[in-house]
Amino acid sequence: MMKIDREKATDLVLGVLGIGLFLVLWEVIGAYRLAGLTWPKLSDVLAFLFEPSRQGLFLRAMGASFSMVAAGYVLGLVIGIAMAALVHVINPLRPGMDRFASVVNAIPPIALAPIFIVLLSREVTGMAIATLNVFFVIYVATTSGLQSSTRGHRDLFAVIGASKIRRFMSLDMPAAFPALVSGMKYAIPAAFIGAILGEWFGSSRGLGLLMVSAMQNFQIPLLWSAVLIASTASLLAFGAMSLLERFVYGRFR
Amino acid sequence: MSQSAQIRRSSGGFFLTLVSRYWGVLAVLLAWQAWVSISGVNAIVMPHPIDVLLNIVQNPGSYWQNGSQTLLLAAGGLVMGMALGTLIAVVAWTSRVLSGILIPLGLIFSSVPVVALIPVLARLLGYDVRTVLAIVVIISFFPAFVFTSAGLRALPPGSEDLFQVLGASKWRRFVHLVMPSAVPNWMIALRLAAPPAVLSAMVAEFLMGSSGLGYMFRAAATDFDTAQAFGTSVVATAISVLCFTAATLAETRVNQKWK
Repeated sequence: MMKIDREKATDLVLGVLGIGLFLVLWEVIGAYRLAGLTWPKLSDVLAFLFEPSRQGLFLRAMGASFSMVAAGYVLGLVIGIAMAALVHVINPLRPGMDRFASVVNAIPPIALAPIFIVLLSREVTGMAIATLNVFFVIYVATTSGLQSSTRGHRDLFAVIGASKIRRFMSLDMPAAFPALVSGMKYAIPAAFIGAILGEWFGSSRGLGLLMVSAMQNFQIPLLWSAVLIASTASLLAFGAMSLLERFVYGRFR
Repeated sequence: MSQSAQIRRSSGGFFLTLVSRYWGVLAVLLAWQAWVSISGVNAIVMPHPIDVLLNIVQNPGSYWQNGSQTLLLAAGGLVMGMALGTLIAVVAWTSRVLSGILIPLGLIFSSVPVVALIPVLARLLGYDVRTVLAIVVIISFFPAFVFTSAGLRALPPGSEDLFQVLGASKWRRFVHLVMPSAVPNWMIALRLAAPPAVLSAMVAEFLMGSSGLGYMFRAAATDFDTAQAFGTSVVATAISVLCFTAATLAETRVNQKWK
């Protein structure tokens, strides 16, 4: 026990050290212009980010992007779980749905953008791409989780004569929960990627638009600030999901 | 596998197998066709499939040139990124301090939206074809590093003791135990990294507007040449599915031999 704790403590110290080194390196490269004029100091980016006069700009962009991320995430989550449950109950549908999910995953979202722009609008294209990305991760995680109930439990449900629905609700669903929560964790960056990509195809607001216009107009601190906001938000949500995952694994396994 | 075999046996029909495997894809295509027919949108908004095909057939040169460039950049960048990620993972494996520092950073970078790094890298490295390659390398690096690192640590239970008992050197242990046990994970990384490699190559071309499919797509969209925009989508999808299928086949092949 002591040994494991010591291992963990070393991991923690080294991890914090690594992140610290990364941030110091970022600052030093910026300060001495080791990577040219387009690598700003971390402190400059932070100063730019927290400048009171720009709060409105960033808050508006965050509101637009994060609402697309959240809407796409929830939609993809619901569709992914629904489809996984459907093919679990009606098994013959499964090969077709599996194939559909992997085709959706293999198509680059940039190729789907024209269809979404025509079908929906430029403003919600990001949400649609986020939905597709999240759907794929959640579908794969849930279908594999639904099969994780053990043979003995399944036999028990058969012996007591439980209906298919009953078995699904009381056995398969709880058994799938840990896999689903892991899927929800990996779906977080996927949702952010979808929303940002969507904004690059002509949206008129959001962090993605800030990134592209800053890139084209050489507004280096603005560019790095927008990327930093999106990355930090994704990281925080991912971290929250990891905590939830740990809790669920402790409770359901 | 056994399921589709069952269906084939019971019905004896190729058609049923096709429907069972592709009903999802077919349903979407049918819904699209139905929507175009019912709503009657004009060809500038939504081109007819035949116009898209004609556009590809009539401009084989530009599709081939841009498509092959994007394919080469994506595949080359993927291979280089995988190699780099594996190399760093192996170097990190040799040292407790290095792995303790690098693995959390790798995890952090794989939980942020990496495509957001494309504009930053484009500005850092300059608008150039080599920048597209570098972007694909960097984006493919993270899954390779994270998965290989995990694989190098997930040894079969008991095997480590056996090697210890045999008195194997660290090098022998690496070659005969650690590296082979990382191969399945490495193949997962390859499959996971293939679609993002094609995507990031195209997005980089789209944003920087130099050449390749992404640029072609952007030019078509700016000119409202929807037939060409959809044609680019078709070619891009073909390339991406090709890369993904190749990676999946490689994974199955290796796993069969390995496990």
